[in-house]
Amino acid sequence: MAHGNDRSGFYRVKLILVGIIFVLGVYPWLAPPVYFISFAFNVLTYITLATSWNIIGGYTGYLSFGHVAFFGIGAYATAVLGARLDLGPALVILASLPAGVVSALVAVVIGYPCLRLRGPYFAVITLCFAFVTELTVRNLDFLGGADGLWIKGLAMPIETSRSIFFELMLVLTVVCLSSAHWIETSRFGAGLRAIREDEEVAQTMAINTPKLKIMAFAVSAFFPGVAGGIYACYLTYIHPDIVFDVNISILIVLMALFGGGASWVGPLVGATLLTFVNEGLSTFVKAEFARIIYGCLFIIVIIFMPNGIVEFLKNLIVKRRLRTKFVKNKSSQLLS
Amino acid sequence: MLKGIGVEKRFGGLTAVTSLDFEIFDGEIVGMIGPNGSGKTTLFNLISGLFKLDKGAIDFQGFRISGLPPYKVAKLGIGRTFQIVRPLMELSLLENVTTAVLYGSSGLHEVDVARDMAMNILKFTGLDSKFRNFPGELGIEGRKRLEIARALGSKPKILLLDEVFAGMNSKEIEGAIELTFRIRDEYRITVFMIEHVMKAIMTACDRVIALRHGVKIADGPPEQVANDPEVIRAYLGESYAKN
Ligand SMILES: Nc1ncnc2c1ncn2[C@@H]1O[C@H](COP(=O)(O)OP(=O)(O)OP(=O)(O)O)[C@@H](O)[C@H]1O
Ligand SMILES: [Mg+2]
Repeated sequence: MAHGNDRSGFYRVKLILVGIIFVLGVYPWLAPPVYFISFAFNVLTYITLATSWNIIGGYTGYLSFGHVAFFGIGAYATAVLGARLDLGPALVILASLPAGVVSALVAVVIGYPCLRLRGPYFAVITLCFAFVTELTVRNLDFLGGADGLWIKGLAMPIETSRSIFFELMLVLTVVCLSSAHWIETSRFGAGLRAIREDEEVAQTMAINTPKLKIMAFAVSAFFPGVAGGIYACYLTYIHPDIVFDVNISILIVLMALFGGGASWVGPLVGATLLTFVNEGLSTFVKAEFARIIYGCLFIIVIIFMPNGIVEFLKNLIVKRRLRTKFVKNKSSQLLS
Repeated sequence: MLKGIGVEKRFGGLTAVTSLDFEIFDGEIVGMIGPNGSGKTTLFNLISGLFKLDKGAIDFQGFRISGLPPYKVAKLGIGRTFQIVRPLMELSLLENVTTAVLYGSSGLHEVDVARDMAMNILKFTGLDSKFRNFPGELGIEGRKRLEIARALGSKPKILLLDEVFAGMNSKEIEGAIELTFRIRDEYRITVFMIEHVMKAIMTACDRVIALRHGVKIADGPPEQVANDPEVIRAYLGESYAKN
Protein backbone atom coordinates (compact mmCIF):
# COMPACT_ATOMS: atom_id res chain seq x y z
CA MET A 1 0.00 0.00 0.00
CA ALA A 2 2.79 2.35 0.91
CA HIS A 3 4.20 1.56 -2.51
CA GLY A 4 0.97 2.58 -4.21
CA ASN A 5 1.00 5.87 -2.34
CA ASP A 6 4.61 6.48 -3.36
CA ARG A 7 3.69 5.86 -6.96
CA SER A 8 0.70 8.15 -7.10
CA GLY A 9 2.67 10.77 -5.18
CA PHE A 10 5.41 10.41 -7.76
CA TYR A 11 3.02 10.98 -10.65
CA ARG A 12 1.50 13.96 -8.90
CA VAL A 13 4.94 15.52 -8.49
CA LYS A 14 5.70 14.82 -12.13
CA LEU A 15 2.43 16.42 -13.21
CA ILE A 16 3.13 19.50 -11.12
CA LEU A 17 6.62 19.80 -12.59
CA VAL A 18 5.34 19.52 -16.16
CA GLY A 19 2.76 22.17 -15.28
CA ILE A 20 5.41 24.52 -13.92
CA ILE A 21 7.61 24.05 -16.97
CA PHE A 22 4.64 24.75 -19.23
CA VAL A 23 3.69 27.93 -17.38
CA LEU A 24 7.31 29.11 -17.47
CA GLY A 25 7.51 28.35 -21.18
CA VAL A 26 4.41 30.39 -21.94
CA TYR A 27 5.28 33.23 -19.56
CA PRO A 28 7.49 35.45 -21.79
CA TRP A 29 4.89 35.48 -24.55
CA LEU A 30 2.33 37.06 -22.24
CA ALA A 31 4.23 40.32 -22.78
CA PRO A 32 5.56 40.91 -19.28
CA PRO A 33 8.02 43.77 -18.72
CA VAL A 34 11.43 42.94 -20.17
CA TYR A 35 12.92 43.29 -16.72
CA PHE A 36 10.95 40.28 -15.51
CA ILE A 37 12.09 38.14 -18.40
CA SER A 38 15.70 39.05 -17.69
CA PHE A 39 15.26 38.30 -14.03
CA ALA A 40 13.68 34.91 -14.78
CA PHE A 41 16.56 34.23 -17.17
CA ASN A 42 19.00 34.89 -14.31
CA VAL A 43 17.10 32.54 -12.01
CA LEU A 44 17.28 29.77 -14.61
CA THR A 45 20.98 30.38 -15.18
CA TYR A 46 21.72 30.08 -11.49
CA ILE A 47 19.58 26.96 -11.16
CA THR A 48 21.59 25.37 -13.97
CA LEU A 49 24.90 26.40 -12.43
CA ALA A 50 24.01 25.26 -8.91
CA THR A 51 22.52 21.98 -10.12
CA SER A 52 25.57 21.09 -12.18
CA TRP A 53 27.92 22.15 -9.39
CA ASN A 54 26.03 19.79 -7.12
CA ILE A 55 27.01 16.77 -9.22
CA ILE A 56 30.64 17.12 -8.16
CA GLY A 57 30.10 19.14 -4.96
CA GLY A 58 27.00 17.57 -3.45
CA TYR A 59 26.83 14.02 -4.78
CA THR A 60 30.58 13.38 -4.86
CA GLY A 61 31.68 15.63 -2.01
CA TYR A 62 34.35 17.56 -3.91
CA LEU A 63 33.71 21.24 -3.27
CA SER A 64 34.73 23.11 -6.41
CA PHE A 65 35.19 26.83 -5.81
CA GLY A 66 36.16 27.55 -9.39
CA HIS A 67 33.06 26.60 -11.25
CA VAL A 68 32.70 30.04 -12.80
CA ALA A 69 35.69 29.11 -14.95
CA PHE A 70 33.58 26.60 -16.86
CA PHE A 71 30.89 29.22 -17.36
CA GLY A 72 33.47 31.67 -18.66
CA ILE A 73 35.17 29.11 -20.86
CA GLY A 74 31.79 28.26 -22.40
CA ALA A 75 31.07 31.93 -23.04
CA TYR A 76 34.44 32.57 -24.65
CA ALA A 77 34.44 29.33 -26.65
CA THR A 78 31.04 30.27 -28.09
CA ALA A 79 32.19 33.78 -28.98
CA VAL A 80 35.40 32.55 -30.58
CA LEU A 81 33.69 29.76 -32.51
CA GLY A 82 31.14 32.26 -33.76
CA ALA A 83 33.78 34.74 -34.88
CA ARG A 84 36.17 32.19 -36.40
CA LEU A 85 33.53 30.35 -38.39
CA ASP A 86 31.74 33.62 -39.12
CA LEU A 87 28.43 32.20 -37.92
CA GLY A 88 25.19 34.14 -38.10
CA PRO A 89 23.46 35.15 -34.84
CA ALA A 90 21.24 32.05 -34.77
CA LEU A 91 24.13 29.65 -35.39
CA VAL A 92 26.31 31.28 -32.72
CA ILE A 93 23.75 30.16 -30.18
CA LEU A 94 24.18 26.59 -31.36
CA ALA A 95 27.93 26.98 -30.83
CA SER A 96 27.23 26.91 -27.09
CA LEU A 97 26.88 23.12 -27.35
CA PRO A 98 30.43 22.47 -28.56
CA ALA A 99 31.44 25.16 -26.05
CA GLY A 100 29.98 22.96 -23.32
CA VAL A 101 32.09 20.11 -24.63
CA VAL A 102 35.17 22.36 -24.43
CA SER A 103 34.38 23.07 -20.78
CA ALA A 104 33.96 19.36 -20.10
CA LEU A 105 37.31 18.60 -21.77
CA VAL A 106 39.04 21.26 -19.70
CA ALA A 107 37.46 19.65 -16.61
CA VAL A 108 38.90 16.27 -17.61
CA VAL A 109 42.38 17.75 -18.06
CA ILE A 110 42.47 19.70 -14.80
CA GLY A 111 40.42 17.10 -12.93
CA TYR A 112 43.04 14.46 -13.55
CA PRO A 113 45.60 16.02 -11.18
CA CYS A 114 43.21 18.06 -9.00
CA LEU A 115 40.78 15.29 -8.09
CA ARG A 116 43.59 13.51 -6.26
CA LEU A 117 43.35 16.25 -3.67
CA ARG A 118 40.62 16.16 -1.10
CA GLY A 119 38.71 18.59 1.08
CA PRO A 120 40.13 22.10 1.45
CA TYR A 121 42.99 21.35 -0.96
CA PHE A 122 40.57 20.65 -3.77
CA ALA A 123 38.56 23.78 -2.95
CA VAL A 124 41.67 25.95 -3.03
CA ILE A 125 43.12 24.48 -6.20
CA THR A 126 39.86 24.91 -8.11
CA LEU A 127 39.72 28.51 -6.92
CA CYS A 128 43.27 29.00 -8.24
CA PHE A 129 42.32 27.34 -11.50
CA ALA A 130 39.54 29.91 -11.98
CA PHE A 131 41.95 32.79 -11.31
CA VAL A 132 44.53 31.41 -13.70
CA THR A 133 41.93 30.93 -16.42
CA GLU A 134 40.66 34.47 -15.96
CA LEU A 135 44.15 35.96 -16.07
CA THR A 136 44.99 33.96 -19.17
CA VAL A 137 41.90 35.16 -21.00
CA ARG A 138 42.53 38.74 -19.91
CA ASN A 139 46.00 38.60 -21.40
CA LEU A 140 45.28 36.90 -24.70
CA ASP A 141 44.72 39.38 -27.51
CA PHE A 142 42.77 37.04 -29.73
CA LEU A 143 40.23 36.71 -26.89
CA GLY A 144 39.81 40.46 -26.76
CA GLY A 145 42.05 40.80 -23.70
CA ALA A 146 40.80 43.42 -21.27
CA ASP A 147 38.47 44.87 -23.93
CA GLY A 148 36.14 41.91 -24.03
CA LEU A 149 34.44 40.41 -27.09
CA TRP A 150 31.31 41.23 -29.03
CA ILE A 151 28.90 38.61 -30.31
CA LYS A 152 26.37 39.13 -33.06
CA GLY A 153 22.94 39.70 -31.56
CA LEU A 154 19.61 38.63 -32.99
CA ALA A 155 18.17 41.37 -35.17
CA MET A 156 14.78 41.70 -33.50
CA PRO A 157 13.09 43.65 -30.71
CA ILE A 158 14.62 43.10 -27.30
CA GLU A 159 11.41 41.55 -25.91
CA THR A 160 11.49 38.86 -28.55
CA SER A 161 15.18 38.09 -28.34
CA ARG A 162 15.13 37.97 -24.54
CA SER A 163 12.13 35.66 -24.69
CA ILE A 164 13.99 33.36 -27.05
CA PHE A 165 17.02 33.24 -24.78
CA PHE A 166 14.76 32.61 -21.84
CA GLU A 167 13.25 29.62 -23.63
CA LEU A 168 16.71 28.28 -24.49
CA MET A 169 17.88 28.58 -20.91
CA LEU A 170 14.66 26.92 -19.77
CA VAL A 171 15.40 23.93 -22.00
CA LEU A 172 18.95 23.75 -20.67
CA THR A 173 17.72 23.98 -17.07
CA VAL A 174 15.21 21.19 -17.59
CA VAL A 175 17.81 18.97 -19.26
CA CYS A 176 20.29 19.73 -16.49
CA LEU A 177 17.80 18.96 -13.71
CA SER A 178 16.72 15.76 -15.45
CA SER A 179 20.33 14.67 -15.78
CA ALA A 180 20.89 15.37 -12.10
CA HIS A 181 17.81 13.37 -11.23
CA TRP A 182 18.88 10.53 -13.48
CA ILE A 183 22.36 10.46 -11.94
CA GLU A 184 20.85 10.38 -8.47
CA THR A 185 18.86 7.24 -9.18
CA SER A 186 21.50 5.48 -11.28
CA ARG A 187 24.45 3.20 -10.70
CA PHE A 188 26.70 6.16 -11.47
CA GLY A 189 25.12 8.20 -8.68
CA ALA A 190 25.40 5.33 -6.23
CA GLY A 191 29.13 5.19 -6.96
CA LEU A 192 29.48 8.94 -6.46
CA ARG A 193 27.71 8.78 -3.10
CA ALA A 194 30.02 5.99 -1.99
CA ILE A 195 32.98 8.21 -2.91
CA ARG A 196 31.52 11.08 -0.90
CA GLU A 197 31.05 8.87 2.15
CA ASP A 198 34.42 7.11 2.16
CA GLU A 199 36.60 6.98 -0.91
CA GLU A 200 38.83 4.17 0.32
CA VAL A 201 35.87 1.97 1.17
CA ALA A 202 34.40 2.80 -2.25
CA GLN A 203 37.60 1.43 -3.79
CA THR A 204 37.33 -1.80 -1.86
CA MET A 205 33.78 -2.04 -3.25
CA ALA A 206 35.38 -2.29 -6.72
CA ILE A 207 34.40 1.27 -7.63
CA ASN A 208 36.85 2.85 -10.07
CA THR A 209 36.91 6.09 -8.13
CA PRO A 210 39.37 8.09 -10.28
CA LYS A 211 37.28 7.43 -13.39
CA LEU A 212 33.96 8.21 -11.71
CA LYS A 213 35.24 11.45 -10.24
CA ILE A 214 36.50 12.68 -13.60
CA MET A 215 33.21 11.76 -15.27
CA ALA A 216 31.27 13.62 -12.58
CA PHE A 217 33.54 16.65 -12.92
CA ALA A 218 33.15 16.65 -16.70
CA VAL A 219 29.34 16.47 -16.54
CA SER A 220 29.30 19.16 -13.91
CA ALA A 221 31.42 21.39 -16.19
CA PHE A 222 29.43 20.71 -19.37
CA PHE A 223 26.20 22.46 -18.37
CA PRO A 224 27.90 25.63 -17.09
CA GLY A 225 29.78 25.70 -20.40
CA VAL A 226 26.57 25.63 -22.42
CA ALA A 227 24.97 28.12 -20.03
CA GLY A 228 27.97 30.43 -20.52
CA GLY A 229 27.48 30.19 -24.29
CA ILE A 230 23.80 31.10 -24.11
CA TYR A 231 24.61 33.87 -21.66
CA ALA A 232 27.23 35.31 -24.02
CA CYS A 233 24.74 35.43 -26.90
CA TYR A 234 22.14 36.94 -24.60
CA LEU A 235 24.46 39.76 -23.49
CA THR A 236 26.10 40.09 -26.97
CA TYR A 237 29.20 41.25 -25.12
CA ILE A 238 31.49 39.37 -22.75
CA HIS A 239 34.31 40.51 -20.55
CA PRO A 240 36.47 38.62 -18.02
CA ASP A 241 34.98 40.76 -15.24
CA ILE A 242 31.52 39.48 -16.12
CA VAL A 243 31.87 35.82 -17.02
CA PHE A 244 34.81 34.99 -14.73
CA ASP A 245 33.46 36.90 -11.72
CA VAL A 246 34.62 35.01 -8.63
CA ASN A 247 31.39 36.00 -6.88
CA ILE A 248 29.53 33.68 -9.23
CA SER A 249 31.70 30.77 -8.09
CA ILE A 250 30.91 31.49 -4.48
CA LEU A 251 27.25 32.14 -5.14
CA ILE A 252 26.86 28.77 -6.86
CA VAL A 253 28.30 26.96 -3.85
CA LEU A 254 26.13 28.94 -1.43
CA MET A 255 22.99 28.25 -3.43
CA ALA A 256 23.56 24.52 -3.63
CA LEU A 257 24.44 24.19 0.05
CA PHE A 258 21.64 26.56 1.07
CA GLY A 259 19.10 24.30 -0.58
CA GLY A 260 20.93 21.09 0.33
CA GLY A 261 23.40 19.02 -1.65
CA ALA A 262 21.87 15.59 -1.27
CA SER A 263 19.30 15.83 -4.05
CA TRP A 264 18.46 17.78 -7.21
CA VAL A 265 15.72 19.65 -5.33
CA GLY A 266 18.25 21.41 -3.08
CA PRO A 267 20.11 23.49 -5.67
CA LEU A 268 16.82 24.20 -7.45
CA VAL A 269 15.26 25.65 -4.33
CA GLY A 270 18.48 27.26 -3.11
CA ALA A 271 19.23 29.00 -6.40
CA THR A 272 15.66 30.23 -6.81
CA LEU A 273 15.39 31.59 -3.28
CA LEU A 274 18.81 33.22 -3.19
CA THR A 275 18.41 34.86 -6.59
CA PHE A 276 15.18 36.41 -5.32
CA VAL A 277 16.82 37.46 -2.08
CA ASN A 278 19.76 38.90 -3.96
CA GLU A 279 17.53 40.86 -6.31
CA GLY A 280 15.27 42.07 -3.52
CA LEU A 281 18.20 43.21 -1.40
CA SER A 282 19.96 44.98 -4.23
CA THR A 283 16.84 46.98 -5.13
CA PHE A 284 15.91 47.97 -1.59
CA VAL A 285 19.21 48.42 0.25
CA LYS A 286 22.74 49.49 -0.54
CA ALA A 287 24.97 46.84 -2.11
CA GLU A 288 27.28 46.57 0.92
CA PHE A 289 24.33 46.06 3.25
CA ALA A 290 22.92 43.49 0.88
CA ARG A 291 26.16 41.52 1.12
CA ILE A 292 26.07 41.60 4.91
CA ILE A 293 22.45 40.49 5.16
CA TYR A 294 23.13 37.83 2.57
CA GLY A 295 26.11 36.49 4.48
CA CYS A 296 24.23 36.41 7.78
CA LEU A 297 21.34 34.58 6.19
CA PHE A 298 23.71 31.99 4.87
CA ILE A 299 25.43 31.51 8.22
CA ILE A 300 22.07 31.02 9.93
CA VAL A 301 21.03 28.38 7.44
CA ILE A 302 24.33 26.51 7.66
CA ILE A 303 24.27 26.47 11.46
CA PHE A 304 20.62 25.56 11.94
CA MET A 305 20.05 23.55 8.79
CA PRO A 306 23.39 21.88 7.99
CA ASN A 307 21.77 19.65 5.39
CA GLY A 308 20.08 22.55 3.65
CA ILE A 309 16.69 24.09 3.76
CA VAL A 310 14.96 21.31 1.80
CA GLU A 311 16.06 18.57 4.18
CA PHE A 312 15.14 20.78 7.12
CA LEU A 313 11.58 21.29 5.91
CA LYS A 314 11.24 17.61 5.04
CA ASN A 315 12.24 16.60 8.57
CA LEU A 316 9.84 19.13 10.00
CA ILE A 317 6.96 17.57 8.06
CA VAL A 318 7.97 14.02 8.97
CA LYS A 319 8.21 14.97 12.63
CA ARG A 320 4.79 16.55 12.62
CA ARG A 321 3.33 13.48 10.95
CA LEU A 322 4.94 11.20 13.51
CA ARG A 323 3.60 13.34 16.31
CA THR A 324 0.03 13.20 15.04
CA LYS A 325 0.38 9.46 14.61
CA PHE A 326 1.69 9.16 18.16
CA VAL A 327 -1.18 11.20 19.54
CA LYS A 328 -3.63 9.02 17.61
CA ASN A 329 -2.10 5.84 19.01
CA LYS A 330 -2.21 7.28 22.50
CA SER A 331 -5.86 8.21 22.21
CA SER A 332 -6.83 4.84 20.76
CA GLN A 333 -5.03 3.18 23.67
CA LEU A 334 -6.96 5.31 26.10
CA LEU A 335 -10.21 4.36 24.45
CA SER A 336 -9.60 0.61 24.50
CA MET B 1 44.20 -19.23 -4.66
CA LEU B 2 45.80 -16.35 -2.72
CA LYS B 3 49.54 -16.47 -2.34
CA GLY B 4 52.11 -14.14 -0.81
CA ILE B 5 55.83 -14.43 -1.51
CA GLY B 6 58.30 -12.58 0.72
CA VAL B 7 55.79 -9.85 1.51
CA GLU B 8 57.33 -6.93 3.38
CA LYS B 9 56.02 -3.60 4.62
CA ARG B 10 57.87 -0.89 6.51
CA PHE B 11 56.56 2.25 8.19
CA GLY B 12 59.61 4.43 8.64
CA GLY B 13 61.88 2.46 10.93
CA LEU B 14 59.23 -0.08 11.85
CA THR B 15 58.88 -3.25 9.80
CA ALA B 16 55.23 -4.18 10.22
CA VAL B 17 55.40 -7.28 8.01
CA THR B 18 58.67 -9.13 7.42
CA SER B 19 59.33 -11.40 4.41
CA LEU B 20 56.07 -13.24 4.88
CA ASP B 21 55.09 -16.28 2.80
CA PHE B 22 51.52 -17.51 2.97
CA GLU B 23 48.98 -19.33 0.88
CA ILE B 24 45.22 -19.67 1.14
CA PHE B 25 43.55 -22.51 -0.76
CA ASP B 26 40.16 -22.53 -2.42
CA GLY B 27 37.32 -23.38 -0.02
CA GLU B 28 39.33 -23.00 3.19
CA ILE B 29 38.50 -21.01 6.28
CA VAL B 30 41.87 -19.76 7.49
CA GLY B 31 42.40 -17.82 10.69
CA MET B 32 45.17 -15.36 11.47
CA ILE B 33 46.16 -14.65 15.05
CA GLY B 34 48.84 -12.58 16.71
CA PRO B 35 49.23 -10.05 19.51
CA ASN B 36 48.25 -6.42 18.99
CA GLY B 37 50.43 -4.66 16.47
CA SER B 38 51.80 -7.86 14.95
CA GLY B 39 50.91 -6.75 11.42
CA LYS B 40 47.67 -8.59 10.69
CA THR B 41 45.64 -5.63 9.50
CA THR B 42 48.66 -4.38 7.62
CA LEU B 43 48.73 -7.66 5.68
CA PHE B 44 45.05 -7.23 4.75
CA ASN B 45 45.75 -3.70 3.60
CA LEU B 46 48.60 -5.01 1.46
CA ILE B 47 46.40 -7.70 -0.08
CA SER B 48 43.54 -5.32 -0.85
CA GLY B 49 45.88 -2.75 -2.37
CA LEU B 50 45.42 0.03 0.19
CA PHE B 51 49.13 -0.20 1.07
CA LYS B 52 51.98 -0.67 -1.40
CA LEU B 53 54.43 -3.52 -0.73
CA ASP B 54 58.06 -2.65 -0.05
CA LYS B 55 59.21 -6.10 -1.11
CA GLY B 56 57.73 -9.36 -2.34
CA ALA B 57 54.58 -10.07 -4.31
CA ILE B 58 51.00 -11.23 -3.90
CA ASP B 59 49.22 -13.42 -6.46
CA PHE B 60 45.53 -14.17 -6.71
CA GLN B 61 44.52 -17.18 -8.82
CA GLY B 62 47.89 -17.04 -10.51
CA PHE B 63 47.53 -13.35 -11.29
CA ARG B 64 49.88 -10.71 -9.85
CA ILE B 65 47.76 -8.33 -7.77
CA SER B 66 50.41 -6.47 -5.81
CA GLY B 67 50.77 -3.04 -7.37
CA LEU B 68 47.16 -2.89 -8.55
CA PRO B 69 44.87 -0.16 -7.20
CA PRO B 70 42.30 -1.35 -4.62
CA TYR B 71 39.31 -1.18 -6.95
CA LYS B 72 40.99 -3.56 -9.40
CA VAL B 73 41.88 -5.98 -6.64
CA ALA B 74 38.27 -5.87 -5.45
CA LYS B 75 37.00 -6.39 -8.99
CA LEU B 76 39.07 -9.56 -9.27
CA GLY B 77 37.13 -11.00 -6.35
CA ILE B 78 38.81 -10.05 -3.09
CA GLY B 79 36.35 -8.63 -0.57
CA ARG B 80 37.16 -7.29 2.86
CA THR B 81 35.74 -5.83 6.05
CA PHE B 82 37.38 -3.22 8.26
CA GLN B 83 38.42 -3.83 11.85
CA ILE B 84 37.07 -0.41 12.78
CA VAL B 85 33.84 -0.60 10.82
CA ARG B 86 33.46 1.90 8.03
CA PRO B 87 29.84 1.90 6.85
CA LEU B 88 28.68 4.55 4.40
CA MET B 89 26.96 6.53 7.14
CA GLU B 90 24.48 8.59 5.16
CA LEU B 91 23.18 5.65 3.15
CA SER B 92 20.61 3.17 4.40
CA LEU B 93 21.64 -0.44 4.92
CA LEU B 94 19.95 -1.36 1.66
CA GLU B 95 21.78 1.41 -0.22
CA ASN B 96 25.09 0.37 1.31
CA VAL B 97 24.76 -3.17 0.00
CA THR B 98 23.07 -2.20 -3.28
CA THR B 99 26.04 -0.01 -4.18
CA ALA B 100 28.38 -2.93 -3.57
CA VAL B 101 26.24 -5.18 -5.79
CA LEU B 102 26.11 -2.57 -8.58
CA TYR B 103 29.89 -2.42 -8.82
CA GLY B 104 30.71 -6.00 -7.85
CA SER B 105 31.37 -9.16 -9.82
CA SER B 106 27.74 -10.18 -10.26
CA GLY B 107 27.42 -7.79 -13.21
CA LEU B 108 24.03 -6.47 -12.07
CA HIS B 109 24.03 -2.89 -13.32
CA GLU B 110 20.29 -2.29 -13.01
CA VAL B 111 19.52 -0.58 -9.72
CA ASP B 112 16.23 -2.44 -9.18
CA VAL B 113 17.76 -5.85 -9.81
CA ALA B 114 20.75 -5.02 -7.63
CA ARG B 115 18.41 -3.93 -4.87
CA ASP B 116 16.68 -7.34 -4.87
CA MET B 117 20.04 -9.03 -4.67
CA ALA B 118 21.08 -6.73 -1.82
CA MET B 119 17.87 -7.54 0.00
CA ASN B 120 18.73 -11.25 -0.21
CA ILE B 121 22.16 -10.56 1.22
CA LEU B 122 20.66 -8.53 4.06
CA LYS B 123 18.38 -11.46 4.80
CA PHE B 124 21.37 -13.81 4.70
CA THR B 125 23.21 -11.66 7.23
CA GLY B 126 20.11 -11.21 9.39
CA LEU B 127 19.64 -7.50 8.73
CA ASP B 128 16.65 -7.59 6.41
CA SER B 129 14.21 -6.17 8.96
CA LYS B 130 16.39 -3.07 9.28
CA PHE B 131 16.97 -2.42 5.59
CA ARG B 132 15.62 1.13 5.76
CA ASN B 133 17.73 2.00 8.81
CA PHE B 134 21.00 3.86 8.73
CA PRO B 135 24.27 2.40 10.04
CA GLY B 136 24.28 4.88 12.92
CA GLU B 137 21.14 3.22 14.27
CA LEU B 138 22.81 -0.18 14.59
CA GLY B 139 24.70 -1.61 17.53
CA ILE B 140 28.24 -2.88 17.13
CA GLU B 141 27.10 -6.39 16.16
CA GLY B 142 24.75 -5.01 13.52
CA ARG B 143 27.50 -2.83 12.09
CA LYS B 144 29.85 -5.80 11.85
CA ARG B 145 27.14 -7.73 10.06
CA LEU B 146 26.73 -4.77 7.72
CA GLU B 147 30.46 -4.85 6.93
CA ILE B 148 30.05 -8.48 5.96
CA ALA B 149 26.88 -7.80 3.98
CA ARG B 150 28.56 -5.04 2.00
CA ALA B 151 31.59 -7.21 1.30
CA LEU B 152 29.30 -10.04 0.16
CA GLY B 153 27.50 -7.59 -2.09
CA SER B 154 30.57 -7.40 -4.31
CA LYS B 155 30.33 -11.19 -4.77
CA PRO B 156 33.95 -11.91 -3.86
CA LYS B 157 35.75 -15.23 -4.29
CA ILE B 158 37.67 -14.70 -1.09
CA LEU B 159 36.62 -12.65 1.90
CA LEU B 160 39.07 -11.04 4.32
CA LEU B 161 37.40 -10.58 7.71
CA ASP B 162 39.23 -8.29 10.15
CA GLU B 163 38.20 -9.04 13.75
CA VAL B 164 34.51 -9.38 13.06
CA PHE B 165 33.95 -11.04 16.42
CA ALA B 166 35.57 -8.35 18.54
CA GLY B 167 33.11 -6.60 20.81
CA MET B 168 30.42 -9.25 20.55
CA ASN B 169 28.99 -11.25 23.43
CA SER B 170 29.25 -15.04 23.35
CA LYS B 171 25.79 -15.55 21.90
CA GLU B 172 26.50 -13.07 19.10
CA ILE B 173 29.80 -14.82 18.48
CA GLU B 174 28.04 -18.12 17.99
CA GLY B 175 25.75 -16.50 15.46
CA ALA B 176 28.71 -14.98 13.66
CA ILE B 177 30.56 -18.32 13.56
CA GLU B 178 27.52 -19.90 12.00
CA LEU B 179 27.42 -17.06 9.48
CA THR B 180 31.07 -17.70 8.59
CA PHE B 181 30.31 -21.33 7.79
CA ARG B 182 27.33 -20.34 5.72
CA ILE B 183 29.43 -17.83 3.76
CA ARG B 184 31.70 -20.65 2.72
CA ASP B 185 29.10 -23.35 2.22
CA GLU B 186 26.23 -21.43 0.63
CA TYR B 187 28.12 -18.67 -1.21
CA ARG B 188 31.22 -20.85 -1.85
CA ILE B 189 33.51 -18.08 -0.67
CA THR B 190 36.94 -18.77 0.79
CA VAL B 191 37.43 -17.03 4.14
CA PHE B 192 40.62 -15.53 5.57
CA MET B 193 39.91 -14.07 9.00
CA ILE B 194 41.84 -12.18 11.64
CA GLU B 195 40.61 -13.09 15.08
CA HIS B 196 41.47 -12.69 18.73
CA VAL B 197 38.51 -14.68 20.03
CA MET B 198 40.08 -18.14 20.44
CA LYS B 199 36.75 -19.90 20.58
CA ALA B 200 35.92 -18.62 17.12
CA ILE B 201 39.32 -19.62 15.79
CA MET B 202 39.16 -23.11 17.23
CA THR B 203 35.67 -23.92 15.97
CA ALA B 204 35.58 -22.15 12.64
CA CYS B 205 39.03 -22.49 11.11
CA ASP B 206 40.55 -25.30 9.06
CA ARG B 207 43.96 -23.75 9.49
CA VAL B 208 45.56 -20.97 11.49
CA ILE B 209 48.48 -18.67 10.75
CA ALA B 210 50.16 -16.92 13.68
CA LEU B 211 52.14 -13.70 13.40
CA ARG B 212 54.45 -11.99 15.83
CA HIS B 213 56.16 -8.67 15.09
CA GLY B 214 55.31 -9.17 11.45
CA VAL B 215 56.93 -12.61 11.25
CA LYS B 216 55.04 -15.84 10.71
CA ILE B 217 55.67 -18.10 13.70
CA ALA B 218 53.19 -20.90 13.07
CA ASP B 219 50.93 -22.26 10.33
CA GLY B 220 48.79 -25.37 10.77
CA PRO B 221 45.62 -26.89 12.25
CA PRO B 222 44.09 -24.82 15.09
CA GLU B 223 44.95 -27.26 17.93
CA GLN B 224 48.55 -27.48 16.81
CA VAL B 225 48.99 -23.71 16.53
CA ALA B 226 47.23 -23.06 19.84
CA ASN B 227 49.66 -25.40 21.62
CA ASP B 228 52.74 -24.20 19.80
CA PRO B 229 55.23 -22.96 22.45
CA GLU B 230 56.28 -20.09 20.20
CA VAL B 231 52.69 -18.91 19.92
CA ILE B 232 52.08 -19.23 23.66
CA ARG B 233 55.23 -17.25 24.28
CA ALA B 234 54.12 -14.56 21.83
CA TYR B 235 50.82 -14.17 23.61
CA LEU B 236 51.68 -14.71 27.22
CA GLY B 237 55.35 -13.75 27.52
CA GLU B 238 58.51 -15.70 28.23
CA SER B 239 57.88 -16.76 31.81
CA TYR B 240 54.55 -18.33 31.07
CA ALA B 241 55.93 -20.52 28.26
CA LYS B 242 58.63 -22.00 30.48
CA ASN B 243 56.16 -23.32 33.06
N1 LIG C 1 49.36 3.53 8.37
C1 LIG C 1 50.31 3.25 9.28
N2 LIG C 1 51.34 4.09 9.47
C2 LIG C 1 52.31 3.83 10.37
N3 LIG C 1 52.35 2.72 11.11
C3 LIG C 1 51.37 1.83 10.98
C4 LIG C 1 50.29 2.04 10.06
N4 LIG C 1 49.45 0.99 10.12
C5 LIG C 1 49.96 0.16 11.04
N5 LIG C 1 51.11 0.65 11.55
C6 LIG C 1 51.96 -0.02 12.56
O1 LIG C 1 52.24 -1.31 12.09
C7 LIG C 1 52.19 -2.25 13.15
C8 LIG C 1 51.23 -3.35 12.81
O2 LIG C 1 49.92 -2.82 12.86
P1 LIG C 1 48.62 -3.66 12.48
O3 LIG C 1 47.46 -2.71 12.49
O4 LIG C 1 48.87 -4.40 11.24
O5 LIG C 1 48.50 -4.65 13.70
P2 LIG C 1 47.40 -5.75 14.01
O6 LIG C 1 48.09 -7.04 14.03
O7 LIG C 1 46.25 -5.61 13.10
O8 LIG C 1 46.99 -5.35 15.47
P3 LIG C 1 45.57 -5.39 16.22
O9 LIG C 1 45.40 -6.75 16.72
O10 LIG C 1 45.72 -4.39 17.31
O11 LIG C 1 44.55 -4.99 15.22
C9 LIG C 1 51.83 -1.48 14.40
O12 LIG C 1 52.99 -1.22 15.11
C10 LIG C 1 51.22 -0.21 13.88
O13 LIG C 1 51.47 0.86 14.75
MG1 LIG D 1 44.29 -5.07 13.27
